[in-house]
Amino acid sequence: MKNLKEISTRLEIAKKKIHKNNESTNDAYLGKALKISTEFVAAVVVGTTIGFLLDNWFDTKPLLIICFFFMGVASGILTVFKSAKKMQTK
Amino acid sequence: MSLNPMHQFQVYKIGPEINLGGLNLSFTNASLFMTVSSVLILALLFFGTKKKLLIPSKIQLITEMSYTFVAKMINDTAGSAAKSFFPFIFTLFMFVLFSNMVGMLPYSFTTTSHIIVTFVLAAIVFVGVTILGFVKHGFKYLELFVPKGVPMVLLPLIVIIEIISYLSRPVSLSVRLFANMMAGHTMLKVFGGFVISLGLLGGWLPLGFSIALTGLEILVAFLQAYVFAILTCIYLNDALNLHH
Repeated sequence: MKNLKEISTRLEIAKKKIHKNNESTNDAYLGKALKISTEFVAAVVVGTTIGFLLDNWFDTKPLLIICFFFMGVASGILTVFKSAKKMQTK
Repeated sequence: MSLNPMHQFQVYKIGPEINLGGLNLSFTNASLFMTVSSVLILALLFFGTKKKLLIPSKIQLITEMSYTFVAKMINDTAGSAAKSFFPFIFTLFMFVLFSNMVGMLPYSFTTTSHIIVTFVLAAIVFVGVTILGFVKHGFKYLELFVPKGVPMVLLPLIVIIEIISYLSRPVSLSVRLFANMMAGHTMLKVFGGFVISLGLLGGWLPLGFSIALTGLEILVAFLQAYVFAILTCIYLNDALNLHH
C-alpha cells in the first residue's frame, strides 16, 4: 500500500509539472499574432468585395464600395477585438 | 530561370493530359505532393499503431503524441461536445502539417503555398460549420449575427458588420496559411539566390541567413497547421454552443 501512495503523489507532482509547461509558450504567442493580423485584412477585403459585387449589381458604381469598405474595416476591428478578448479570458 | 524565386510555385502536369468534359484533370506536381503527404500520414499511422507496446517505440510515440495533441486541443477549445469531430480535425491538422513539412524538403513542392488548396480546405470547414450550426440550432443559429444589448437604431448596421465578419472567416483562414507558406519559401529562395550570385567571397552571410530561415520556416510550418486546426475548433465551438 505504501508503494501505491508513493506512486500517486509522484503522479500528482508530474501532473502539476505538465500543467505548468502548458502555460502559453512563445510559439503560441507568435501564432496568435499571425492570427490577428490576417483577421483584420480579411475582413476589409471581404467587405470591399461585397461592396464591389453589389455595386455591379445595382449599378451604383462608387457608392456601395465606399460604404462596405468602411463596414469591412469596422468588422475587422470587431473581429480583432473579439479574439483579443478571448485571449485575455483564457 | 532557376534563380527566379517564384519558379518553385509553378504547377505543371506529370504524365498524360486528362480532359473530362472540359475539366482539366491532369495529374500535376501539386497532386503528386498531396499524394505523397497523404501516403506519409497513412504510413506513420499504420506503422505507429501496428505493434502496441507498453513502452512505445519512437514511431509509436510520435503517433500517440499527435493523437493526444489534437485530442487535447479539441477538448480545451471546443469542449467535450466536439469530440465526435476528432477524425475531421485530426485529418485536417495532419494534412496541413505534412504538406508544409514535405514542402521544406529540397526539390519538393509546397501544396499549401497555393491559395486554391488552402481556400478549399477553409471552405470545407466554413460550409461544414455553417450546416452544422443550422442543423443543431435551426434558425436560432442566425442569432449569432445579433449581439445582445444593441439599440434598435444600430441593429441593421451591426448585423451587416457581423455578417461580414462571419464571411471573412474562410478568407482569413486560407490567406493566413497560403501567405505564410508562400512568403517563407520565396524568402528562402531569394537568399539561396544571393548565395549563388555573391559566390565564394560574399556568399557566406546569406548562407547563414538561409540556414536560420530554414529553422524559422519549420517552426512556421508547424505553427500554421496548429493555427488552422485550432481555429477550426473555435468555429466548431461557435456552432455547437451558441452563447459566446
